[in-house]
Amino acid sequence: MTVTRITVDPLTRVEGHLKFETRVENGVVASARTSGMLFRGIEKALIGYDPRTALQLTQRVCGVCPYAHAEAAALALENAMGLRLNANGQLLRNLIVGAYQVQDCLLHFYQLSALDFIDVTAVLEYRGADPGLTAMRDWVRSETSSQRIFPAAPFLPRYQGDYLKDSTANLSAVRNYLESFTIMADLHKMVALFGGKSPHPVAIEAGGVTTRPTIDNLAKYRTLLNRVERFVHTCYREDILSVGKAFPGYFQEGRGYGNFLSFPYFPDSAGKNHFFAGGATIAGRHTPLDLKAITEDHTYSYYQNKPSAGIKPLGASRLEPLDWKQFQREEQRPDGKYSWSRAPRYGGKVMETGAAARVVNTYHSGRNPALNQLVDRLNRDLDIGLQDYNSVLGRHLSRYITVTLLLGRLREQLEQVRPGVLGFIEKEVPRNVRGIGITEASRGALGHWLEIDDKGLIKNYEMVMPTTWNMGPRDATGQPGAVEKMLIGTKIADPANPLELARIVRSADPCIACSVH
Amino acid sequence: MTITLDRRKFLQRIYQVVIAAGAAPLLSFEELLAAEVNSAAVGWSRPNLVWLQGASCSGCSTSLLNVEQITILDFLTYFTRLVYHPNLSTASGDQVPQILNKLAASGKPYILIMEGAIPVGMPHTCMLAHKPISEWAGLLAAKALLCIAGGTCAASGGVAKMAGTLTGAESLDNFLKQRAIKTPSVNLPSCPMHPDHLVYTLLHFIKARRLPDLDDARRPRRFFSHSVHERCPRYAAFQARDFARSIGEEGCLMELGCQGPVTYNDCIALGYNSNTNNCIRAGHPCIGCASELFPRPLLYHTRAEAKAKVGGNLRGSAR
Repeated sequence: MTVTRITVDPLTRVEGHLKFETRVENGVVASARTSGMLFRGIEKALIGYDPRTALQLTQRVCGVCPYAHAEAAALALENAMGLRLNANGQLLRNLIVGAYQVQDCLLHFYQLSALDFIDVTAVLEYRGADPGLTAMRDWVRSETSSQRIFPAAPFLPRYQGDYLKDSTANLSAVRNYLESFTIMADLHKMVALFGGKSPHPVAIEAGGVTTRPTIDNLAKYRTLLNRVERFVHTCYREDILSVGKAFPGYFQEGRGYGNFLSFPYFPDSAGKNHFFAGGATIAGRHTPLDLKAITEDHTYSYYQNKPSAGIKPLGASRLEPLDWKQFQREEQRPDGKYSWSRAPRYGGKVMETGAAARVVNTYHSGRNPALNQLVDRLNRDLDIGLQDYNSVLGRHLSRYITVTLLLGRLREQLEQVRPGVLGFIEKEVPRNVRGIGITEASRGALGHWLEIDDKGLIKNYEMVMPTTWNMGPRDATGQPGAVEKMLIGTKIADPANPLELARIVRSADPCIACSVH
Repeated sequence: MTITLDRRKFLQRIYQVVIAAGAAPLLSFEELLAAEVNSAAVGWSRPNLVWLQGASCSGCSTSLLNVEQITILDFLTYFTRLVYHPNLSTASGDQVPQILNKLAASGKPYILIMEGAIPVGMPHTCMLAHKPISEWAGLLAAKALLCIAGGTCAASGGVAKMAGTLTGAESLDNFLKQRAIKTPSVNLPSCPMHPDHLVYTLLHFIKARRLPDLDDARRPRRFFSHSVHERCPRYAAFQARDFARSIGEEGCLMELGCQGPVTYNDCIALGYNSNTNNCIRAGHPCIGCASELFPRPLLYHTRAEAKAKVGGNLRGSAR
């Protein structure tokens, strides 16, 4: 038996500091460890702060999905206040988080993942007149023939492997890669119109949104939305389908446990009837959401706290990180702690969260016929079934499904906003209460747990993040984390270029800043 | 003899004169873009850039992608050489430390852009390729031509250094001081970093052959000379002592926790997202995201909450 170890540190084109290691036996991954390598300790630092600051500061946990933290933190505080938003407050908040979710999914596909599938060097064969592509071609040509130390950076070097061969599809995807920057900037403008700025929109507060909608900013939003819709319904759709058709094997690769967790997401103007259903699908069976089933484990995480397993949200008010010496000792131990990320469990089970979980759970719930129709149609086109959403391309496809359906909702809800009416209700911070806020970030199920003391300050704060579910390490019982499980069983063509593994890890859209915070 | 000059050439000549006259700090963005690069003087026409993320959230990187003064393609292929960026580079795994080590050893000029704070107290809380980020930052900063602290975390610590954190996170400048690294630095606070601030600073360095004028905190004066308060669209209301009593009202937002008077940034003039909006225009008090004391323990609050907390925890924290 030949045994090799593959360590990828860092895995780039994800948010943050991600490392993973695999043990490969006879060309197949036998075991895997995923590690989040940044710890800031923001969650417990919030203790003693005013609860409203959490809305701004938890956004700084992640600059890629800050909107979701703003929303979850607002929901937690509103839950503690016993406050319901007025229609405009809910609609404007949806317009902010919806546009941001779309931006985030496009960023993930084009900037973070597409270059694992499409071949940038295909621009060398370009003969047309598209200004972006000709500029790119001339640049790649002059770079690759130059004597520079890093020719064509940041697009080279890359892992060698089986990139897309169809030159038309490649060129189209490269053109769309370039255009996606403009579209993402447009989406950030949509966020900023009601959020103030993007990243880190300020205007989401407990009580609604501070921006007063006007005919003017609603019209601007609509104009930008038109452009985004065109891009998504043509370019993004085309690229997802051409990758899907060129790499059918990746509807099998990256199989995880198949346990899916999602939270209710995107309500109507009354804050009800969420467009995406929450819940858990375990072994193909969909059950309603039970937040009490959530615990965290840090047996393999770099913390000293005891006990290290079965901790409920808000169950600990301090996290004691290992010091330098302890850290080094764990690094040397064969079975030592290996990540700053903790390992959340749902009734003891490892759950995958993210776009695939959102789509699968909503599909099973049967409450959104538009989603079921779209899924059925795509499945016929691509010759796949719902079980194949538990895969690399299943996850990418689910993001496309999220985006295309969300755009329709944004258009509907934009028309429901009443210009001139403030979507904000003022209420004071209550004392001695707890609140929970749950939503879906682009990366999946996000929960904030808040406890307020007798002075109206934060007594304890807990965030359970999508990437913590996905990228967390093993737990006390030895169960591998969700992405670790996805890696196990993967065939590696060339250990020096583990492109297969990079594709699998990136498909889960890891965000390390979130997962550890 | 007839001299034919197209408009672009003509502008370039003018700006050469402007630069020669030492008036470069006054250059606008457009003027800088039009100016010709004097590659012989600088030693390079497209500087190498290397981007590191310390204790950060990638918000400054995503903010950079929103730049519209130039396209990202031009940024990557025409103005600079982005040797390494954690979110854009195709290189992965071992390729990354190879690139960073090779760059540091190459003797070629490059600029280091640091996003996020550097955990000095607990270096193992931010690791890249088996080494603490402080080691990489030290290695690369020492040989860089220039270091840029992109965003509030790198400029002054930001949320990574907020009260109650344990990692001993430091700003880039403090880190350079501790390591006795003499490389000049520029601070571009704001959470997130404003993309125009970075691109302007780089263009100025490339085209005008030197940094824009800096203040004592090593921030370009062009962006950070005025407080948010003094340029605020609600400043007239402040002078009239007309204070908003709650969100949604006209009037100065001071009594709702606005940090405008203690925050120096040009977000009021420049706006965010190509001047789509800013916090005050969105009806929200300034949260002071470009201030060296960001984040303060109390940001937006109601008037009643302010009264209850004055003397108690307004300044400070329960810790």
